[in-house]
Amino acid sequence: MSDADFPHRLPAAARAAPAARRWWYLLAAIAIALLPMFFTDSYWRTNLIVCAINVMLAIGLDFIVGYAGQLNLGQSAFYGIGAYVSTLLIMRLGVPFWWAFLCGVLLSGIAGMLLSLFAVRLRGHYLAIASLGFAVIIHQILLNWISVTQGPLGIYGIAPPPPLRIPGLPAIEFGNLANLFYLTAGFALLAYLLLDQLVRSPIGETLTAIREDEVSAASLGINCQAWKVFAFGVGSAIAGAAGCFYASFVGTLVPDAFFIVESFTILAMVIVGGMGTLIGPVCGAILLTVLPELLRGIGDLRLIVYGVAVMLVVLFMPGGIVEAARLTVAGLRARLRAAPAGAGP
Amino acid sequence: MLTVVLQQGINGIVVGSLYVLVALGLTLIYGVLVQINFAHADIVTLGAFAAYFFVHLFGGNYLLSIAVALAVGGALGWVMNAGIFAPLRERGSELLPLIATIGASIMLENAMLAWFGPIPYAFETPYSNHVIRVAGMFFTMQSVLIIVVSTTTIGLLYGFMKFTFLGKALRAVSQDRETAGLMGINPNKLIMLTFVIASALAGMAGAMLGPVLVLTPFAGTSVIVKAFAIVIIGGFGNVEGTIIAGLLVGLIESYTTQFLEPGLIDIVVFALLLLTLAVRPTGLVAEKREENV
Amino acid sequence: MRKPPISLHFAAVIAALALAAPQPLEAADKVVKIGALLPMSGPGSYFGAQDKQGIELALEQLNKTGVGGVKFEVQYEDSACSPLPATQAAKRLLDQYKPDVAIGEECSDATLAIMPLMEQAKVPFLNAGSSSIRITQPGNPWTFRIMPNEVMQGIDIATNAYNRLGARTAVLLYENTNAGIGNAKVFNETFTKLGGKILADIGFGRDINDFTSIATRIAGLGKIDVIPTYTLEGQGLKITQALAQAGVTKGGGGGSIQLGTIWLPFGFEQKAGKASVGYVRIVQFDPTDKREIVRGFIDAFKAKYNQDPTHLNAHAYDQILLIADVVRRGARDAQSIRDGFAATKSFSGVTGSVEFDNTNQNIKMDTIHYMETLPDLSWKALSWN
Repeated sequence: MSDADFPHRLPAAARAAPAARRWWYLLAAIAIALLPMFFTDSYWRTNLIVCAINVMLAIGLDFIVGYAGQLNLGQSAFYGIGAYVSTLLIMRLGVPFWWAFLCGVLLSGIAGMLLSLFAVRLRGHYLAIASLGFAVIIHQILLNWISVTQGPLGIYGIAPPPPLRIPGLPAIEFGNLANLFYLTAGFALLAYLLLDQLVRSPIGETLTAIREDEVSAASLGINCQAWKVFAFGVGSAIAGAAGCFYASFVGTLVPDAFFIVESFTILAMVIVGGMGTLIGPVCGAILLTVLPELLRGIGDLRLIVYGVAVMLVVLFMPGGIVEAARLTVAGLRARLRAAPAGAGP
Repeated sequence: MLTVVLQQGINGIVVGSLYVLVALGLTLIYGVLVQINFAHADIVTLGAFAAYFFVHLFGGNYLLSIAVALAVGGALGWVMNAGIFAPLRERGSELLPLIATIGASIMLENAMLAWFGPIPYAFETPYSNHVIRVAGMFFTMQSVLIIVVSTTTIGLLYGFMKFTFLGKALRAVSQDRETAGLMGINPNKLIMLTFVIASALAGMAGAMLGPVLVLTPFAGTSVIVKAFAIVIIGGFGNVEGTIIAGLLVGLIESYTTQFLEPGLIDIVVFALLLLTLAVRPTGLVAEKREENV
Repeated sequence: MRKPPISLHFAAVIAALALAAPQPLEAADKVVKIGALLPMSGPGSYFGAQDKQGIELALEQLNKTGVGGVKFEVQYEDSACSPLPATQAAKRLLDQYKPDVAIGEECSDATLAIMPLMEQAKVPFLNAGSSSIRITQPGNPWTFRIMPNEVMQGIDIATNAYNRLGARTAVLLYENTNAGIGNAKVFNETFTKLGGKILADIGFGRDINDFTSIATRIAGLGKIDVIPTYTLEGQGLKITQALAQAGVTKGGGGGSIQLGTIWLPFGFEQKAGKASVGYVRIVQFDPTDKREIVRGFIDAFKAKYNQDPTHLNAHAYDQILLIADVVRRGARDAQSIRDGFAATKSFSGVTGSVEFDNTNQNIKMDTIHYMETLPDLSWKALSWN
């Protein structure tokens, strides 16, 4: 990873102060609460849920790639592990949803850590291909181990999460799409908060040091291996959580949903949004989830547009949406300052 | 039984040599540029379609269509380098070209889908159904052609890399770009040449794969993931290694099909990949390369 | 020159609008809205393209005069042969278009994902292409299937292979999907129960391209009477050619007969050439069928598209025809269309007859036609049903 990959990162001093940040979080929470009221049809609510899931996948990946500098092309594998582990526990062994969820998240996290341990000496493109190979193997296992995963036959009729019963309130059913959105978006927000805290803490600085120059970091006494494994574990655990929600939302599980192409789409979301920031992947995930839906009217051309969009961003605005936004704001500020008082017609 | 084992060996080498052609392009690009071109698969597919239309639409000779595909591939390589890799190289970015090629791949596949449609094309050549039977085994002329063309091409490429000035210059650039520049070699021109050669190889592979594969816009993707594995197992940038690894993967395919299940092919190949990475990440065939893995 | 008065401009604009505006329907015209969930992108997209042709032809013919004062309108959504896109497409269709009836998908995985949504929205869902038994077996009151399911087809073809072809040994070749695995399993069970022997059971992924190795393996197994093959056109072509090259099948000078299913369209023989001689298969559509409705369909299709219709065109055409039949019998909205389907006892389409049982599965086997490929690559209808 080089600095050229992050042209848009703000210097530490420019990042928002703690008090301001709390307002942003409140705003985000309010936005989440209001969205289902604007989008009342089930088609758009479905899209909102998919957005929330993709946000989780993207920020998890960005933590690994953008912050720890580990080129991970295997995010689809962790997504799939979370989905299959939790679903199989629920449907085969009758494990209650939230325990199964926990297991799914833990196992994905462990898988991520194992991959990282295995690949600990690998860098750059080797790591990329190793993670890709891992993703292919996981996909093939899901596909071929029919006795356990049902393989291409698929698992159908997966129930949504069980209703939440808070004493004094009516039960919250998750068959209701608005409620399911609140659940997934709520988790996405929690994941974001977690990562944000990590990034701003000394851990974040450690990861940055490892990303920029691993040799120097090691000479400072940093245990690079341990931190890389940690970052991988966190990012993959979040992907696992996304997988659990995916399964209970779609109701159908087939191995092809976790083909390696998914890894690429998630990476695209990170890049288009702005790698190395946290808000970037959120924007990228939302944009790249909503864009194909909005473009459905164009029919066959929509995926072409998708591909072209990714290329254009990379070529002309590598910092993604975050960079574009920052440049626009900076440009506006400059213009405002430059306008002389009482300018003529 | 012996016949079957021998036959599968030949099948493996035929398939393997096609994989080698595809993987060689990837390894050449990586060797010189330390970059992966994810759209390489689509160059293969486009080469196949170019050859198909040359034969079936314009009534051209099949052997000539291989040359056509070669040219188409080379042209595409030129475009990709000029459009994606060169501009991004100036910025010094490592990861972004990869993403750009992913975008390019999505765009190309869907553009092909829009132009050519999703229905598989039946690419017939005068050789694909001409069967020769010898000693209880069978070969199609197409497979003979594949072996002849692949071997010749690989041999030519190998000779080029080892014995000509341009080839040596290429290897110099891949080892140390700055020093090569200081020696009077223009790295940018050489990188362009590499791209063109690599993509031309891919196009040619496409023309020969066309009659063998199920020809749809997604035909290349079925090959590319294995090509990546081959490149790693053989060693990034290592031409001999890629050749050996490619043939090895081809043989793994046919013997796994014979003695296990076709469905297990990918698992065996990728387990080998991970094993290579664990034990000897620079590739199974050693080359004197200083590289920070 | 003086500018014309504003009023003339205004009149001209109004006149243009009036002429351009769609002609209002007469008061008696009602429109039945058909939602079509088909794979338009991705590897399944060739299904969708062909289905659309059949649908468009049917609509064109029906809307010339309407049916009992009713005209038909269709909206297509891309379900991409896969559960998540199918779910999103179905939701969009139901929320924004609000169809009275829906048809689709081709791939069993996608169909299974769409079904619960249709049931929730209480829209009848007519399927003609998916074979998984799970689509009708549990008994979904809102899903109807014209095509015989994998169990019906499998038992039929295995029994016919044993009795009419005298087969005693078989090798199963199938793609590793719901449909492939399911069909192979049924053949296996039926054939074995009758006394036959399965020499090899070979499943392969949709990404396998070179079948020479598989053909070599099969060639080493000894005398094989039949090779039931369950795969789509692309791989099916390669398999047939490879088996002939290996000298296994009749087309290559061997003795084995390939058995195939509805997934291979008419026109396969021209692509496969001599390798396909002797192939016996089930088709949903028999282009040599002498019934008037079939001849009419073929002529109209050729006139409109300048090509011969395939089974995909045909079964999509029949889906629309069945909807029209139900409307003719008085149905107008979702509930009445559903009831009309359930009550269907004697519909006759280009693929065959339809009568739904109480799980809404068509039990008429005459939509299964057996064809054998002759040396001149034409089809001979084997009147086994």
